[in-house]
Parts: sequence; structure tokens; C-alpha cells
Amino acid sequence: MTVPDEKFFAWLDGELSPDEAALVEAEVARSPELARTAEQHRAMQSRLKMAFDTVAEAPVPGRIRPNANVVDFVAAKRARAAGRWGSPAQWAAMAATLAIGIFAGTLIVPRASGPVEVQGGRLYAAASLNRALDSELASAPGTGPVRIGLTFRDQSGAVCRTFTDPQSSGLACRNGSRWQLRGLFAAPEGQSGPYRMAGGMDPNLAALVDSSIAGDPLDAAQEKAAKAKGWR
Amino acid sequence: MDPSQSFEDQLGALLPRLRRFAHTLSRDSADADDLTQATVERALRSKAQWQPGTRLDSWAYRIMRNLWIDTARSRSRKARIEATPEEAELVGEDPRTAMDAALDLKRMMAAMERLPDEQREVVALILVEGFGYREVCEMLDLPMGTVSSRLVRGRNRLLAMVGEQ
Repeated sequence: MTVPDEKFFAWLDGELSPDEAALVEAEVARSPELARTAEQHRAMQSRLKMAFDTVAEAPVPGRIRPNANVVDFVAAKRARAAGRWGSPAQWAAMAATLAIGIFAGTLIVPRASGPVEVQGGRLYAAASLNRALDSELASAPGTGPVRIGLTFRDQSGAVCRTFTDPQSSGLACRNGSRWQLRGLFAAPEGQSGPYRMAGGMDPNLAALVDSSIAGDPLDAAQEKAAKAKGWR
Repeated sequence: MDPSQSFEDQLGALLPRLRRFAHTLSRDSADADDLTQATVERALRSKAQWQPGTRLDSWAYRIMRNLWIDTARSRSRKARIEATPEEAELVGEDPRTAMDAALDLKRMMAAMERLPDEQREVVALILVEGFGYREVCEMLDLPMGTVSSRLVRGRNRLLAMVGEQ
């Protein structure tokens, strides 16, 4: 490796000064091996983050509360000696409503200009992907690289949309004024590019949609109406 | 973070993140929630030591990390007794077979569990919690070189465990 490990990862983590980052960037551009390593580590971090983010997004168990005094905690702790908070079944039910998949080694997340950005510990659509999710209708596809598939409401009522671009497909759902990623799947080896668009939905994405959807997908008129309301 | 909020409210707002951090450190969700609760208790008792105007999140993370270190001895003893072959299999399993977030969380927890403690905390704080290198140096009282070399070793090890292709 032509770049020391520490420096390479500091670059990956956005910790270098612009000048230093430009030097590493140039090395990575020259070396397919470095580029591949960068891609693998970005994918690994995304997967790690998405897995643990499910914890931050789940409701906090009732037994953990800071607005009681310490005495209450001690009492709760004693009470808990008899049985832990919640049951595995409760957790399973909660978890079953969430399905997130991401394949290590296949997700490409360029830091500055990529279709995905991390903010506040969550993954959001950015750039061309965000624009497509905001403005495109499945019934009237635009000319950009991203194609919108299904639009539907999930079990919490949020609007969700599937999308496909030449490298990947995925699911994003409305969270406030942004599109939060629920899953991102790379095109299978050898199947990226325009040919894939003619094929059916990635089976992993289909499974994710199945586990998220409430009712039927929106039809063209409903999709249009949802867009007019800002995807609320 | 809104400084006009009470200490308790600010701490409450941090709970989802603290639970996430606890999950990166713990071997299972029950242990993680115990650690979160212990952190909340310790933070409430130590409220007077927190200086308003400084970051409450770093302060609370630091409490959690220290509590976790305190239990390291009993934890490693427990792990020696209870580490199961299933856990090792789980780590190496093909992620394509399971799309469930809960399962991927378990798999990632199992992988994190196999990192040495000093690498795990750095990986968790930087790659999952999103702290900057310098913030982590301050939180852990470590020099930059130590933090970055632990991060290199930890993430390479993690990739070897969960990465494929």
C-alpha cells in the first residue's frame, strides 16, 4: 500500500486537511487496490451503522428513564430481580417491523458527492437520489440515472419509495423532510448497467418491501397526490 | 442540544444514542440495557460534576465507557464460560441469507464482541457513533497515534470477520 494505513483511514473518515486529502485521493485514484479497499471499508461501516442504528430508532425500554430520581431506579432494579424488562417476543415483534439489508463490499458511498449521506447517525438519500425521490413519478420517469419503482405507506404511515440506479436498488422512507434509507442492495455481479432495469425487483428488496408495506402500493393518481402534499 | 432544557431532559434525549453505544460494547441486548441504566443512574448521581456549557454527550459516553471497563473482568470470565460455537458461526454467516435487521444486529454485535476491548471502543465511537478522532482522544484520554492505530486494527479485523468478496 502506497499510503500508510492510518492516513488512508483518516482520509476515509474525513479527518485530513483538504491538502492532505487531495494527495491521498490521487493515490487512491491511481490504485485499483486502494479503491477497492476503500469501497469494502465504506460498505462495512454502512452495514455496521445500519445494524446498530436499529437500536437508536427503537423505543427506549420503559425501565430506562432519567426523569425519575435515583431512588426510583434502585426500586426498579429490585423489582427487576424477578424478571427483566420486556420479553423476547416483544423485541421480536418490534424488530420484525424493521428490515434492513446491506451487502458488505458492494455498497459504494463516496463521501462528498454520493447518493447517500450519514447525518445524526442515520443514512439519508443525497444528491441525485434525493432529487429523484423528491420529484420523480413512477408513471413519468425522468432522464436521470435513478428510476422510481413502488411508492407505498409503511406500517407507521410514512411514505416509502423503491428506487433503482445502474449500480444498486433500495428502499427509502420519509423521515421529516428527508428520505431515510431502509435498505440498499448492490446489483448482482455482472448485472449492473441498464439491462438490469428491464428485470424484476431484487428479491432482497422485494422481501424488504413485503415486510414494510401497509396495504397496497399507491397507484399513479395517489402517487401524484402524495407528491403534491410533500410526501407527508 | 438545547441548553435551556433540564439536565434530565437532555440526558433523556441522549438515551437512544447511549443505548446504541451500549449495544456496540455489550454481548447482548439485556446486558446493553443494564449498562444503559447503570449509566443513567451514575450520570444522575454525578450531575454536580457535569459543567454546564460542556458537551453532555461526551460526558455521558465517558461514564458508560468507564462502567463498561469496570465490569471487564467479570465480563471476560463470563465470556470464557459462555462463548458458544453458534456465535462464531453467526459471525461468518452469509448476510444474504438473512435480511432481518435484528439478525444483522446480532451478527454485528457478535463481531464487535470478538474485537479486543481497546479496539472495540474506538471502532464504536468513531464508526458507529460518529465522533471525530480528536473527540475520541479526549474522551478516552489517549494520544492521537494510539486512537488511529487501534482504529486501523479494529476495522481491519471487523472487515475480515463480516466482509466478503
